[in-house]
Amino acid sequence: MIRIFIAVLGLLVTAVSPLTQADETCMSPYMAKIVGQEDYVYIWTLGMEGVGDGEDKLVTVDVNPDSKTYGEVVHSLSVGGRNEAHHSGLTDDRRYLWASGLDTSKIFIFDIYTNPAQPKLHREIDDFVAKTGGIVGPHTNYALPGRMLITGLSNNRDHGGRTGMAEYTNDGDFITSVWMPTDDNLQGAVKSGNYADGYGYDARALPRRNVLVTSSFTGWNNYMMNLGKMMGDPEAMKRFGNTVVIWDLHARTPKKILDVPGAPLELRCAWGSRSNYCFTTTALTSKIWLIYEDDAGEWHSKPVADIGDASKIPLPVDISISADDNHLWVNTWNDGLVRLFDISDPHAPEQVFEKRIGEQINMVSQSWDGERVYFTSSLLANWDKSESGDESDVQYFKLYNWDGATLTPEFSLDFVEMGLGSPHQMRFGAHALYGSAPAKAGHDDMAAR
Amino acid sequence: MRFTVAHPLKPATTIWPPADTMRQWLIGLLGCCAISTFATPHEHAPPVVLAPGYEDLQFDPPTAGSYQLPAMGDAADGPILDTSGQPGRLYEYLGDKATVLSFIFTTCNDVNGCPLATYVMSGVQKAVLQDPELAGQVRLVSFSFDPEKDTPAVLGRYGDQFRAEGFDWKFLTTTSEETLRPTLDAYDQWVIRDYDEAGNYLGTMSHILRVYLIDRDRRIRNIYSTSYLHADTVVNDLRTLLLQ
Repeated sequence: MIRIFIAVLGLLVTAVSPLTQADETCMSPYMAKIVGQEDYVYIWTLGMEGVGDGEDKLVTVDVNPDSKTYGEVVHSLSVGGRNEAHHSGLTDDRRYLWASGLDTSKIFIFDIYTNPAQPKLHREIDDFVAKTGGIVGPHTNYALPGRMLITGLSNNRDHGGRTGMAEYTNDGDFITSVWMPTDDNLQGAVKSGNYADGYGYDARALPRRNVLVTSSFTGWNNYMMNLGKMMGDPEAMKRFGNTVVIWDLHARTPKKILDVPGAPLELRCAWGSRSNYCFTTTALTSKIWLIYEDDAGEWHSKPVADIGDASKIPLPVDISISADDNHLWVNTWNDGLVRLFDISDPHAPEQVFEKRIGEQINMVSQSWDGERVYFTSSLLANWDKSESGDESDVQYFKLYNWDGATLTPEFSLDFVEMGLGSPHQMRFGAHALYGSAPAKAGHDDMAAR
Repeated sequence: MRFTVAHPLKPATTIWPPADTMRQWLIGLLGCCAISTFATPHEHAPPVVLAPGYEDLQFDPPTAGSYQLPAMGDAADGPILDTSGQPGRLYEYLGDKATVLSFIFTTCNDVNGCPLATYVMSGVQKAVLQDPELAGQVRLVSFSFDPEKDTPAVLGRYGDQFRAEGFDWKFLTTTSEETLRPTLDAYDQWVIRDYDEAGNYLGTMSHILRVYLIDRDRRIRNIYSTSYLHADTVVNDLRTLLLQ
């Protein structure tokens, strides 16, 4: 019998032993979880003009050290153009990977279970804007039970930051959409501070508290603009999100709008059963913010730590919380550093480690045990650097091993040199999720059960 | 065999051993399993992490009728056998009442899986019996994943443990895995059956727990999984459906 090294929330695993824990720590709590070594990292990669076929693509890298093709790209699937490939997410059963484009608002649904080594395009959603009533820029693809929640970044009326969220069935059928609360229409939410901007970016759920949390970035006009031009445009720089919204998860209605000025991006909620809080970082003010529920059940926001020297604009991007809620990796795009914060006291994080990973570091994903930390480089097509200051690769996928004190490089892939493009979001895959094992001679075939 | 729970979250409640009432319930739910569910102390078994559905609800649910439950597509039909062995169609049990449908198998030994579904549906049954506005308008359907082991007779005995006298809670199975598979596919209910190296079915399987709320137009209006399956929220949604 093939042993199943998968632990799943809601996936019933019978006759399984031993149960260790693993997998990325920043995913939906509704989702199946890998326990053990991941076999693949799926990298949603932005096409670059003049690099390979120039198209957005899903790149599959073999990351199982027992494999003959460890550390190699084993599959690449182009989607026929550039869409501003950005974020991706897995369905709750991890059979499908949803990957969206911020420019064209297309969503590509990949089948990753038929053969985890060779994802195939299952469905393409090209009417997202029409179906959702004008939401533009699908960003976070987040698993809810039997469905996907998609956050937007913009709208089709002015391409500004006002936006909403949509829900689709796992098969890709539209269910419904909801707009973020604004001063014009609070939708019953309490505006607790100065802002009700209606902007959107990331989303995370705390099901046991019936809470959905959303953050806010900027609209199409800005994220598709040249970075230098935007930074020099005072009006454009005013058009960034300043809010985090607390929603009734079950009803999908906004309850409270919190001020978090400076473009709060990624949200990561604690896993602990009595840990009713989430973290976000603000891109423009370089701070870690705590979004937390007090003993009376009220939700608040407050800055709890600086990330580097804000005057030097480190530009925090992706963050990753450890499974024990004690540490938070924070990438800063502008200086190429990853920092580790001790967040065991969520109200007073302390930086305990930093290391330069490379030019324009952006995304970070860690295994559940925290021993493997993956990084990619790309932010946005018109914001990325074309040349490196001191290193050869500006677009990379890197694996480091973390022993609690040191990050040790394991391997690095130069995505430009390999003709692939700009790598962005990473998601993990494993044959064992689907009751199969990798083929002994490679990864072209799935073993029999 | 020791019972373990695969749960990526830290314990919502670590109960080891469970409180007496819960323990009684779980032993009842798992009583048909050919396993020693609760390890003796010398085995140093890991604590069971129980799903939120076994606890009191940790929040006030939104007011029934104050929110939408947008349709998620049509509920599928498929062939069934009832507990008397009579063949029929699933659609015979959908449409005239608001229905809560779960897929289970009676030998399921994951306390946060099928037993959770049955526990929650029992809680729904209790609430419906106490609410004159819901009484007679709700049906529960437990549909087996495992036609090989869950014969009509086995499923009938299983159902008798949980169904209140006269309550509309149906327990359904099918004639074969082949007959069942299209129905599971239609509900996007993916199952991995465990086989030995000779290809013999070991009687165990893995699946995502999904419980479906289906309206009187046979449309799926909500799907619940382990993290969020709770009798109070299901009942709240039933009230919301019936108010529309």
